[in-house]
Amino acid sequence: MGSNSSDRPSSSVSSFASAAASGGSLKRSRNRTPQNPLRSTTKRKSPFADFGSYMAEKNRKLGAQFRADAASVSSLGSDGAPVDSEEDKGVFRGVSIFVDGFTIPSSQELRGYMLRHGGRFENYFSRDTVTHIICSNLPNSKMRNLRAFSHGLPVVRPEWVLHSLAANRLLSCLSKLQQDHVIGKQAIACFVEVPSLCKLACSSWVNICEWRAQQMDTLWAPYQLVHGACKQQKLSTYFRHQSISTSSDAKGSINHDEEIKVGQNHSVVPTDGQTSECGGISIQVGDVACLKSEEFSQARDANQEPSASDMVHSTLTDPNFVENYFKVNSRLHFIGTWRNRYRQRFSKLLTGVKSSNENLKCHSTKQKTAIIHIDMDCFFVSVIIRNFPDLVHKPVAVCHSDNPRGTAEISSANYVARNFGVKAGIFVRDAKVCCPNLVILPYDFEAYQEVAEQFYNILHKHCSKVQALSCDEAFLDVTECDVDPEDIALAIRKEIAETTRCTASAGIAENLLLARLATRSAKPNGQRFLPSEKVELHIDALVVEDYLNDLPVMELPGIGYATHEKLKKRQIQTCGQMRMTQKEGLQKDFGEKIGDMLWNYCRGIDNRNVGEVQEAKSIGAEVNWGIRFNDMTDVGFELELYYTSTGYSECKALISVISKCYAWMPLTHLQVKKRKQGAAEPLKFMGCGDCQNMSRSITVPIAIDNEAALLRIAKKFLSSFHIDVKEVRGIGLHLTKLESAKITRKGRENIAVWLSSPMHATRSKCKQISQSDKQCDNGDFLFSSGPPESGDLDSSHKLDQDKPTLLFQDAGSNCSSIKGADCVRPIRSSVLPPLQDLDIDVVRNLPTEIILEMDVLYKGELSDLISKSKGNNCLTHVCSSTVSLIDASTNSADAGISDAHIDSVKLGLDSKDKGKMPICENVESISYVDQVTMEPKLFDLMPASLSQADASVFEQMPEDVKADVHGLLPLHRELKVSKDFYTCFDFPSCVQFPDPHLKTHLWSGDPPWWVEKFNTSKNILLNVISRHAKSSKDIRLSSILQSVAPFLLPVCELSNEVYAEAICWLHELLAQYIVLKIGSDIEEIYNCFCFLKRISPSSKILLLVYNSALPLFQVSAWNFDVLFILTFLMFSCLLGSIKVFSVMFGLSVLIGIWKNGKHVFLL
Amino acid sequence: MDRKNTSPQGETARVLTEFLEVAVNCIVFLKGFYPPAAFERRRYMNVVVQKARHPQLADYIHSATSNLLPFVQKGLVERVNVTFYDKEHIPLEKFVFKIDVNQSYNSKVEESDIGFALRAFLIKLTVAKPATKPLPPSSGWEITAYFRALPQGSSKEKEAQLWIPTDTKQWLQPPDITPIKSMSSQPLKVQLYLEHPNPCEPKKLEE
Repeated sequence: MGSNSSDRPSSSVSSFASAAASGGSLKRSRNRTPQNPLRSTTKRKSPFADFGSYMAEKNRKLGAQFRADAASVSSLGSDGAPVDSEEDKGVFRGVSIFVDGFTIPSSQELRGYMLRHGGRFENYFSRDTVTHIICSNLPNSKMRNLRAFSHGLPVVRPEWVLHSLAANRLLSCLSKLQQDHVIGKQAIACFVEVPSLCKLACSSWVNICEWRAQQMDTLWAPYQLVHGACKQQKLSTYFRHQSISTSSDAKGSINHDEEIKVGQNHSVVPTDGQTSECGGISIQVGDVACLKSEEFSQARDANQEPSASDMVHSTLTDPNFVENYFKVNSRLHFIGTWRNRYRQRFSKLLTGVKSSNENLKCHSTKQKTAIIHIDMDCFFVSVIIRNFPDLVHKPVAVCHSDNPRGTAEISSANYVARNFGVKAGIFVRDAKVCCPNLVILPYDFEAYQEVAEQFYNILHKHCSKVQALSCDEAFLDVTECDVDPEDIALAIRKEIAETTRCTASAGIAENLLLARLATRSAKPNGQRFLPSEKVELHIDALVVEDYLNDLPVMELPGIGYATHEKLKKRQIQTCGQMRMTQKEGLQKDFGEKIGDMLWNYCRGIDNRNVGEVQEAKSIGAEVNWGIRFNDMTDVGFELELYYTSTGYSECKALISVISKCYAWMPLTHLQVKKRKQGAAEPLKFMGCGDCQNMSRSITVPIAIDNEAALLRIAKKFLSSFHIDVKEVRGIGLHLTKLESAKITRKGRENIAVWLSSPMHATRSKCKQISQSDKQCDNGDFLFSSGPPESGDLDSSHKLDQDKPTLLFQDAGSNCSSIKGADCVRPIRSSVLPPLQDLDIDVVRNLPTEIILEMDVLYKGELSDLISKSKGNNCLTHVCSSTVSLIDASTNSADAGISDAHIDSVKLGLDSKDKGKMPICENVESISYVDQVTMEPKLFDLMPASLSQADASVFEQMPEDVKADVHGLLPLHRELKVSKDFYTCFDFPSCVQFPDPHLKTHLWSGDPPWWVEKFNTSKNILLNVISRHAKSSKDIRLSSILQSVAPFLLPVCELSNEVYAEAICWLHELLAQYIVLKIGSDIEEIYNCFCFLKRISPSSKILLLVYNSALPLFQVSAWNFDVLFILTFLMFSCLLGSIKVFSVMFGLSVLIGIWKNGKHVFLL
Repeated sequence: MDRKNTSPQGETARVLTEFLEVAVNCIVFLKGFYPPAAFERRRYMNVVVQKARHPQLADYIHSATSNLLPFVQKGLVERVNVTFYDKEHIPLEKFVFKIDVNQSYNSKVEESDIGFALRAFLIKLTVAKPATKPLPPSSGWEITAYFRALPQGSSKEKEAQLWIPTDTKQWLQPPDITPIKSMSSQPLKVQLYLEHPNPCEPKKLEE
């Protein structure tokens, strides 16, 4: 039978298929001939020679079975309907299918089809026998390596079989391509049959394309909406992929419906960057014969990059997240910031309105007012769909994402969609349930802006009194116009429709409330006049009374969910019912204001006037979507962006409008959403989920008008929450109590405000005078008051421009000017003392509240300094003890302002030198010693002289102790030491010590100051040392010495002066090092000395240095600033009880002790 | 003593005095002042240390160090010396513990962290024998503490009275110093070093 069919001439089917089929069957028949003898042999030797022969036999048997079945089926068929079967047989003639995996219909059913319609069914895959592979799901690995899997054979879906049957011809597998892509759990199977060399390349290609198209569908939103013509864009993205696939198909010379669309795509491509890029791609695809997948992926990446990828769209991955969040995705942000733009745009007209407000009131008494409320019909949708006339009667919604399973919220829907129950605020997936055909489009803020502008242009053209409510909604007061308000409304609406191609509705009434209500009933695209009394012209029109009677209370503006629920409990559903209630009753239940409002509203009374524009009292921004932080730095970064992108830009806009009369935000309010304990990842993708709201607010004592200060405050704020930043799901910052700068300037007693506000140099004079008064008032002892330097402010102003971040311009620039002019030292700060003039020790001991307050004044720099100075503790100690040393004899007021700041240590010490001299002279004339060795003040651990010791204590000391103490005092001892030093050192008399420099602290700074000093010195030895110090990271002296020693040794013949200088410096270096380290690391000093000692035999210099410095080490280590030596009392008791002790002591031990003849204890 | 002292200084001081007790025991053992049999091996901070067996000796060391606790807490103690004298009561060798407890340190201190640092002292002490000098016969020793101020306010307390002012003979020349171990961490700085009389000192002794 099989051979029969194969020998039959191919009749009706497509030529290539039959050709392939006949070829296959020929092969088969060829194969079978040798199999026949094999059959008999296998029967004889039952166990097969190998697996191959077994399979061959099995396949043969199955084939035979199939043919037998087919014969029986066809005979049945020929019995039933011979003519049909004759044609039927042709359908799958020459087709041999292999079913891979689970399919619907099942493989057995498919086998049945094959049996009946002349095809073949293979149980085992073989390249030779199979012509089509049928499957519906493919694993990812096979998808990726389709060629290896299919061996170049077409892979088709089972439906292909059914469809071919239905069409009664062998369908091209290719037509399935566009319909049949499915997303299985793992991948999309796709099916191509392109009889060309590159058909498989193409098929894998198309795979990618389709996958890509799917992806794009989900992520087209964020980026593209920035550009115009969203719908087109969407289409173009889609078509782009289609075009990729189709053009690769076209390569296989198959004409395709989609090709028309490709053409369309090209015509549609807008001019902006992104889309021209896609245009480029599609063209590229058309041109290049066989695209490599890399190219595609590159192109894809290029596309993807600007549109923040959807799956990883959060603060974690996208550094510009917040910015994009506001720029691109937030409709509310658009509306929120719209007002400012509107103000900017129409500021002139607005002021006009304000000025005419007075007139209006006069008018309103005489003449009946006429108010038009005009509102665009579903603004956000209609602006978008005006370019797509075909969508007008379809349900359309606007949303930032078009993922059908997505949790993005619909932000606006047109009336068609609203009829389906699609409302703003519901999730996309719910909307799709309500209305499966819902078309979702992304925002196009530029278009919104444009339309809103046109809208207001028209309004302002027709009427001078316009009160903007939103970007698409406004009140007009047409009382003064002579024309009938209805005509005006009509004209306006007409013009709007013409200009913007969007419709608007209008309501006309005598007050704002009624006008608004009228609009509501006029929608969509209509207008309505609500006359207060029956007028002849409008006999059929409802009068306000009647209209309101049946109006549900919910419709009234200002009645929200909560109020409505309350009213419901009171059986109040309509305004008519509400009118029955007493005003007092309403006020009792809802509070005075709301009660009053309700009572008025249900009677249609509204006393507001058009054009009463309220100034913004607060400003804020909040992000609660996609907020995920890793650590604090992220937050800081994010916050930064946050301000630059949102709050700040808003405020910037705000300020630019109201510029000179407003400063902002004394009250900062930071709100943080924290993930609730144990709350799972939220339902909404990257949403905030179940959150715990934490908020904190602070009244900043000064008006903030710059970003950096705000940022700093906010950061500090955030850290005060003490929460894991990973838990943060949303952040909001609100600035309230925006204040007029005028008021601030006038009113505040606060010194800081006072300091910060006078930016105008003109006021500087009086400011400075009252400045000192204020300081006295505040009792702020940290401020050094004094006559201000003239010209100080001028310079500060100049610096202002350079340092916009400085909040306290005056203080800040003062600080910098002093920094700049260190030498002109006694500049008294006229405002805040420069930071480095503060005594950190004093500051640190202040109560925390005061520190915090000061910190605010210093914009957070103070706390940084304090924390920094903690590390510098030891240095501070040195410094402060020097200060206290001087305190006794110098003016304490001056010395009080000392500082841990290294720069000023120098200054401080310099200034103290003057005060110190008397001490030295009083005690002993030691100018000689002072020159040679170090300054006594550097021995901070010991008192310099008896004047430091408590006289009373000293008096009570026994005589010998007194003598000892006297001997200990450095001033006495030092003399001796240094004399020793000189005796062992034949010192050239000509040498002058560089004494002015000796007073500085060589080890301060990082790298230590001496490194630089030595480097610039003319002395070769010192140069060598500093070079080594610079190269080594370790600034410990011992390691520096070790590295430098080999180079020091060879330096032999040098002049005496060089020697002497080097020795002096090294000695000084060591001496100061000892002071520095004696408290913490004696070991280090010891190491230095051990090393010096070790190499001193070979180096005269080092020997001398060692000899001179060693006593210092011993002295300072040995020395103590306390003279109270205590011993343990029990010890003296023991003296009297040695006998007891001996008795109690263990016997053997006792013997041992006596043997040795030792005293058990002292003496 | 109150073991549940909450302030970090209190905690640090407690660990420190405990350590001092052990260290003094070790020093006395190290110097061979008593026969080795007077000590027993113990384990402290996972280091093998020696502890005096004689109750009075042990008690002396224990009460001397533990009574230092209030003073250490207040930051009064500048150094603790274990001084060995010859028969003229002239110091021959001093083991000096220089202590600096940062009084303004506020954060929590882990006892184990300090312990770990102090442990190094004990290890170093056990091998410090070569740095010491042999004692002549008829020597003696005592524990002295150098205070920054006389403990006045607390003198009413019983244990405070046990520490009394004394006068010891001092070397007239700066001593030779041999550091044994230093530790400098945030709440606590401890340095242990040996002081020996300056080579030019004996002249005085001869006078």
